[in-house]
Amino acid sequence: MTAIRITSRPLRGWKRARRWVLPLAGFVVIIVFIAPYLVMLLDALRPAGEVLSVPPTLFPKTWTPAAFAQVVTDPAFDNWLKTSLIVAISSTIIVILVAIPAAYFTARFTFRGRVAFLGLIVVTQMFAPTSLVVGIYREFYDLGLINTYGALILTDAAFNIAFGLWILQGFFAAIPKEIEEAASIDGSGRFGTMIRIMLPLTLPGVVTAVTFTFIAAWNEYVVALTLIQDDALKPLTVGISAYVTAYQQNWSQMFAASLIAIVPVVILFALIEKHLIGGMTAGAVK
Amino acid sequence: MKKYLRWGAIAAAATVTSLLLASCGASAPTGTSSKSVKSIKVVIAQYSKDQTPKFWNAFKATYEKQTGITLNLQIIDWNNIDQQSSTMVQSGDVPDILNENAYATYAANGLLYNSDQVLPAATKADIIPAFVKSGTYKGKFYGMPDLSSARALFYNTGLFSKAGITAAPTTWDEFVADAKKVTALGGGNVGYAQPLGPEEAQAEFAIWLFNNGGDFKANGQWTLNSPANVATLKFMKSLSVDDHVTQNNPGHTNRTDGAFSLFEQGKAGMVVGFSPLQGALDTQFKGVKYAIAPMPSGNAAPAQTYGVTDYLMSFKKAGNEAAVKAFYKLYYSPSEINTWIKAEGFLPVTTSGLKLFSSNPALKVYLDTLPNIHLTPTDDPEWDKIALTIKQNIGLAVGKTGDPQKFLDDLQAQAVAGK
Amino acid sequence: MDIVTPGQVAARGRSRRHRRSPGTARIGEALLWLGPALILILGVVIYPAITLVATSFNRYSIIGLRLGPAGFQNYLNFLTSPDLGQVVWNTVVWVALVVALTILISLALAQFLSKEFFGRRFVRWAVIVPWASALVISSQLFRLMFDYYHGIINQLLTSVGIIHTPIDWLGDSRYIMPSMIAVGVFVSIPFTAYLFVAGLNAIPTDVYEAARIDGSSAWSTYRLITLPLLRPAILIGVVLNMIYVFNSFPINWILNGSNPGFGNDTLITYMYKLAFKSAQHDVGESAAAGIFNVLIILIAVGIYLRFVNWRQGDKA
Repeated sequence: MTAIRITSRPLRGWKRARRWVLPLAGFVVIIVFIAPYLVMLLDALRPAGEVLSVPPTLFPKTWTPAAFAQVVTDPAFDNWLKTSLIVAISSTIIVILVAIPAAYFTARFTFRGRVAFLGLIVVTQMFAPTSLVVGIYREFYDLGLINTYGALILTDAAFNIAFGLWILQGFFAAIPKEIEEAASIDGSGRFGTMIRIMLPLTLPGVVTAVTFTFIAAWNEYVVALTLIQDDALKPLTVGISAYVTAYQQNWSQMFAASLIAIVPVVILFALIEKHLIGGMTAGAVK
Repeated sequence: MKKYLRWGAIAAAATVTSLLLASCGASAPTGTSSKSVKSIKVVIAQYSKDQTPKFWNAFKATYEKQTGITLNLQIIDWNNIDQQSSTMVQSGDVPDILNENAYATYAANGLLYNSDQVLPAATKADIIPAFVKSGTYKGKFYGMPDLSSARALFYNTGLFSKAGITAAPTTWDEFVADAKKVTALGGGNVGYAQPLGPEEAQAEFAIWLFNNGGDFKANGQWTLNSPANVATLKFMKSLSVDDHVTQNNPGHTNRTDGAFSLFEQGKAGMVVGFSPLQGALDTQFKGVKYAIAPMPSGNAAPAQTYGVTDYLMSFKKAGNEAAVKAFYKLYYSPSEINTWIKAEGFLPVTTSGLKLFSSNPALKVYLDTLPNIHLTPTDDPEWDKIALTIKQNIGLAVGKTGDPQKFLDDLQAQAVAGK
Repeated sequence: MDIVTPGQVAARGRSRRHRRSPGTARIGEALLWLGPALILILGVVIYPAITLVATSFNRYSIIGLRLGPAGFQNYLNFLTSPDLGQVVWNTVVWVALVVALTILISLALAQFLSKEFFGRRFVRWAVIVPWASALVISSQLFRLMFDYYHGIINQLLTSVGIIHTPIDWLGDSRYIMPSMIAVGVFVSIPFTAYLFVAGLNAIPTDVYEAARIDGSSAWSTYRLITLPLLRPAILIGVVLNMIYVFNSFPINWILNGSNPGFGNDTLITYMYKLAFKSAQHDVGESAAAGIFNVLIILIAVGIYLRFVNWRQGDKA
């Protein structure tokens, strides 16, 4: 961007122009971001054998919704979808329930071990799940949690506490102390104050944590791959990969299934996007 | 925020340090754990998304009904099974039955039952001797084969007739000449689709060197850099570097989504294939007319068929012997094993299966060679590492600047050093 | 419950400056409030991390059976492996370029997304899509699109005449890393851009009005007002992306999947190959690599924070 002098005349010209320049630019941005997924859609609408055709064609030579039909009628797909929904929703709820008190408390009070606690939170983000998965397996095997939803819910929750806690901590810290003091004069206990007075003020933070955790849990692959071997309990990410193996390639089904898997996330996002925008950096502005 | 992260970094360092200290006292993984014989854990590799679960779930039902023992079935994709089985072993959670493509290290580590312990004599007698041999480690039969496949030369008859070729090549010279003619057709056609990327390069190398009088081992000694092997790899390199009859960059092409897909799209004159490729061609790619022939031989070497078998091995755990025995007994009953092999489009491993499948003319080209099939030295634990080195690095050796001689010398040194 | 408007967020942003120091509490009460989070993290991250450390000090057969103690042998083997130098260099290039490009593009995109215009909602939904799609599948998709023979990218570029012969994006060593970086940036942008949109929304509008009265140019307004106020968001964006990009597995694993050797691996895929795909086939050495990786990312983040601190101190 070069230095543009904002004088009154060009500004008026720009004001008129931006009415169509910005939507046009917006259209270009939309195309750029969904182009690969349009290719995915076009591949899902071909017969499986046509996906790797040489030379490739952008549009299918034979249009067919067969892949979508096969995926939605595949009982295995229903199971994977169910697992993904249960795991993503449950782990998101756990993150919120666990991160709110911790965020509130670390934002409001000093205590011995606070630094160590916060340091621990950062550490959790630095370990690659790829390298932790053996240890998780061993522990969950001892606890009898292999091949259970619980195993995935616990790991997804634990991996994502850090982000939720960090976001929410920023919000709690930003609330003026006077508000809280007024509430405690009312006779509310600490927990009651947090729930009734503080929590509504941190709604954007909660929404941000929800979005982030839900997406992360929805897309988690490495841990689920190892902890879940029962086909009926696999989440979508792991299950979908089975459409393409060394001996059999159903690219169009894999892509059809993947597109269906994107939908719940985009719907969730469309519903809460307005609240999300305010939330994401509150933790940062500190 | 910054301060917070900086504390974090400091605390993190402290945490890692304390972890290092803690590790000294951390307990080591325990060995096998004893489990109730009321259930067994069976880990199966996924050959196809539909057929593998379908067969094994039916098998599970039959097994449970027959024995009253619960069969915990776990199906794992081939891409991940090494990692998963390693995780299980590290965690002391070994399965009772494991389906893998290698068994020798498990046997060498003393984890497996041998056939004397768990396989009925009649069943062992039914298994084709070549597979018994490949499953035998230090005189005991540990690697029970689940199914097999054999490789042969697939050629596109449409491209061949366009190029004026009437028969499949039988010698390497003919092979190169035919590949050149197909490549000369233009239009993106390549003479030979050569997969030397990390997916399955050891198979591609094996089939060519077996048909040039080479082998990985001879008389119990590693012969990885034998003159025949070096000549083979130089020939394989020359196909792309000098003759330009292969697809672009063979050392960076995998089998499934590279070489096979070119053949399936009718763009490759020849490829080394096996029955699953045949299955795909007959269902998804009906436009491609093809035929199957034995591999051409180099240096007038006798024709060899390269074969592969995977294994169903069983782990010694307290009290599971009877359950494992019952598993094998049921699996090798003709109605079970042959149903599965047929559904997945593979080849039998038993003499009785061979008889049953011989009625299918499409499989004749493989079945005739099955009794004399040439396998890789899977009975040597060292092979597992050699095969990995070949897969991972052979693509570099056949590149423009690659050095086949040095690659094989290094491989031989690795094998002899046993590390 | 009220919906909080950007203005309110901005107001909160201002009030933050009057924050008071927190009170003190007893450790017992702290445990009550932090307990659940602590239990989860200790159980699911720290305990497995201890297992990882223990693994790195033991010797294993290739199937994962523990054979005995190894002392520091795994670390020695890892640190002296001939491919390590190349792998570390690849990782530096990968992390530095993906993070830098992601931050720059996301800053511009965030600026755009915070303008009011017709259809903005749809643009915001579209930008979320690469984030909403599982990385394993997106990587498979890009692998197909980049393919030499059946990839749509070569097809499009040749048909519009930008290139005349197809490029082997994922097989030619000149293009492998750039292709992977392009995908890495593409999938990292959504999260980062939203982080910055939120950061922009938190900047009080009166600051801009003051600048306009002063007659500052758009660029100098951006440089002197927006960027400094966006600083905390950028800091978070850089640190989180550094960690995520460093630990990212599927892109390199899948796009580099048909290439021999270790010439295009990053530390994370190299660690995985050490355990399961290399001649070593050694989970002990791989665990040592895992510990090494955590130390590297810790040091990298530490260096970045120190650098930021130094620059800030310089300015003030």
